[in-house]
Amino acid sequence: MSDEKKVADIIRDEHNAEEHHTPGTMTLVLALLASFAVYYFANWKALADTWHVR
Amino acid sequence: MSIHVPAADWFKAPTGGERTWIGLALAWCVVLSVAMPYWHLRGKQNSTGEAYAVEPMKFSERVEAFVASNKVGEENGVPVVQPAPGGDAYLLAQMWRWYPILKLKQGQSYRVHLSSLDLQHGFSLQPMNMNFQVLPGYDHVLTLTPTSSGSFTIICNEFCGIGHHLMTGRVIVEP
Amino acid sequence: MSTTLPLSGAAEATGFATGNHRPGELRSCDTTGLPVCLNAQWFIRINAVMAVVFLLVGGIASILLALTRAPTIHLLSAEWYYRVLTLHGLNMLIFWILFLEVAILYFTATSLLNSRLASKGVAWASFGQMLVGALMVNAMILTGNSDVLMTSYVPLKGHPLFYLGIILVATGTLTGVGNFFATLYVAKRDRTYNGSVPLVVFGATAAAIIAVVTLLHGAIVMIPTFLWSMGILETIDAAWYRLIWWGLGHQSQQVNVCAMVSVWYLLATITTGAKPINQAVCRAAFVLYVLFINIASAHHLLVDPGVGAGWKIWNTSYAMYLAVLASMIHGFTVPASVEVAMRKKGHTNGLFGWLFAAPWSNPGFSAFFMSLVIFGFLGGITGVTLGTQQINIIAHNTLRIPGHFHTTVVGGTTLAFMGLTYYVVPLLFQKEFYARALCRIQPYVFAGGVTLMAVAMTFAGSYGVPRRHWDVEFAGAQVSAGFDASAHLWLGLMGVGGTIAFVGLLMFILLVVSAVFFGKSNAGRAMTAW
Repeated sequence: MSDEKKVADIIRDEHNAEEHHTPGTMTLVLALLASFAVYYFANWKALADTWHVR
Repeated sequence: MSIHVPAADWFKAPTGGERTWIGLALAWCVVLSVAMPYWHLRGKQNSTGEAYAVEPMKFSERVEAFVASNKVGEENGVPVVQPAPGGDAYLLAQMWRWYPILKLKQGQSYRVHLSSLDLQHGFSLQPMNMNFQVLPGYDHVLTLTPTSSGSFTIICNEFCGIGHHLMTGRVIVEP
Repeated sequence: MSTTLPLSGAAEATGFATGNHRPGELRSCDTTGLPVCLNAQWFIRINAVMAVVFLLVGGIASILLALTRAPTIHLLSAEWYYRVLTLHGLNMLIFWILFLEVAILYFTATSLLNSRLASKGVAWASFGQMLVGALMVNAMILTGNSDVLMTSYVPLKGHPLFYLGIILVATGTLTGVGNFFATLYVAKRDRTYNGSVPLVVFGATAAAIIAVVTLLHGAIVMIPTFLWSMGILETIDAAWYRLIWWGLGHQSQQVNVCAMVSVWYLLATITTGAKPINQAVCRAAFVLYVLFINIASAHHLLVDPGVGAGWKIWNTSYAMYLAVLASMIHGFTVPASVEVAMRKKGHTNGLFGWLFAAPWSNPGFSAFFMSLVIFGFLGGITGVTLGTQQINIIAHNTLRIPGHFHTTVVGGTTLAFMGLTYYVVPLLFQKEFYARALCRIQPYVFAGGVTLMAVAMTFAGSYGVPRRHWDVEFAGAQVSAGFDASAHLWLGLMGVGGTIAFVGLLMFILLVVSAVFFGKSNAGRAMTAW
């Protein structure tokens, strides 16, 4: 009973480990974060070039 | 699957790529959260919403008083008005014009009072593309410092009826 | 191509127990094996049909507007431009989306929980109010009685029936949402399923909770405004109106975000067999939406008088961007679930082999995935940026604003809902589509057009070109004004993009209408797979 349980655990762990192999998605979201940072800071720069206002 | 009842032990902590991404996203959210307060303290462009209650007719009287005491010229029948440096300037939004024309000095600060005689209007200064909301009943005060000189246009970018596209104005800034 | 979706219909896999359907009110889906409550099916059908009717109204408006803002064409007169703009906003943002969302709520609470719809009577009451309200609003607009734009900013004044119509649409939707909650209760009470609700139901519930807050704001702002339009109340404070109206206006978009994300999970599962990697993470993200998404309606008031910097900063940040975190989480978990599913099927080539091998000829998939990319890369990034208190100074009321929200509500929500429809019609109307090749390219046409149009709007707006404006050459104005040639180029491209998007929209409507009313029935067999 305990041997079967161990095997089941191993299979489940491997299965879980596989589930986290998503390099494509990671690339996509890192590209998202990079574009976000560029766009965001570009806008602060554009704002800084206008008149002063409070 | 997303359309099925989940497995009984679904409540577990994220691992692997998911965990890494949540950490990165959280770090980015902290950056975003810090940016606005930072700019509020150190940046030169802020929208603090300083405003005072004012009846439209009362505001109109203040505008006329401002024009009367500071008028320096006229363009196409519209008074050109020069406020004192550091002083108050008044701009009235109404269907369908901005009144009067302001003459400012580069590098000087002014307290510009914006309000409307009738509907909501959108103060949009071009080509700097600076935009503020103008409401009847509210004297919206902008502490404004022109950092460039020349002739600038005000358009209206809040729908105010059929003549909305006719509503323009001018700001002149001397070097 | 297999004729069944990548689902298992076995009761143990779905977690279903014994259903609570009354005799004769249940059928089993021939494709998915899921239970279909026949009452829910009827109301899903009529709400979906009305949704597409109002999509068409809003769509006709959109091509007229695109051809007016293209400066060389300038199609409509000023009067009709603002009138058609009012029609466009309300029919697209409110009527098309709310009718479809009620259909989605009915589906998730019944078929995914093995339950009957709580009440037919309540469903009729909901539908009736929404339909009468929408017709009243459209009638008042088209007869020239309410040229006030969707936001109807006080002191602009519309006809009393305009406001009453909007109130009815709000109360009708609230009634439908109530029916959804009642169905969740009945399913739980009758133990029709074992364990926690499926993720898609969880997401729909989050949307419904936000909808209640939204619609309450609608009542609070519209009832006094209605009384004012009748002359019973003397004035409405302009700033108060803006604050509460946007509690209705922006929150309703957050309902759309929740619904759209739920649809993403649903379509990911149906088209690729994707499974969420970690249910706790996805559900936590929906909870973050419910807790924090509502306060961000402050981003409509960032350059307003009367509300201070502290209030603006705290609220526009969704309380330190916790709701943005939620979106960024879904932005990972949804494609990751597709990647895992595709890699498991053997598509393990390089970084993106899984993506290239994905079913791009399936309009349910292509619409869903493009919706994800457009919403994330374009909508989310521009939204957070424009919603920054100080940056808003260079964006408020320029074309950057519609440039942003056409990528979220149109390229995001509407496109995802279109993808869903390619399953709703064969599964819930039990009709097959004609011209399947056109179905496959329709999402691309629409997505391409919307993207071009929205990008063009964003660039034009960064030159200062105003939104909601009939003539950016200001012909006849006391002080002359205008924009330079590059701004005009972008406006021209906006017209091109808008026209392509309209073609994509027309394709969708013709394909759906021909299938629903004239399509061949697939009752008794599985749907023809995409």
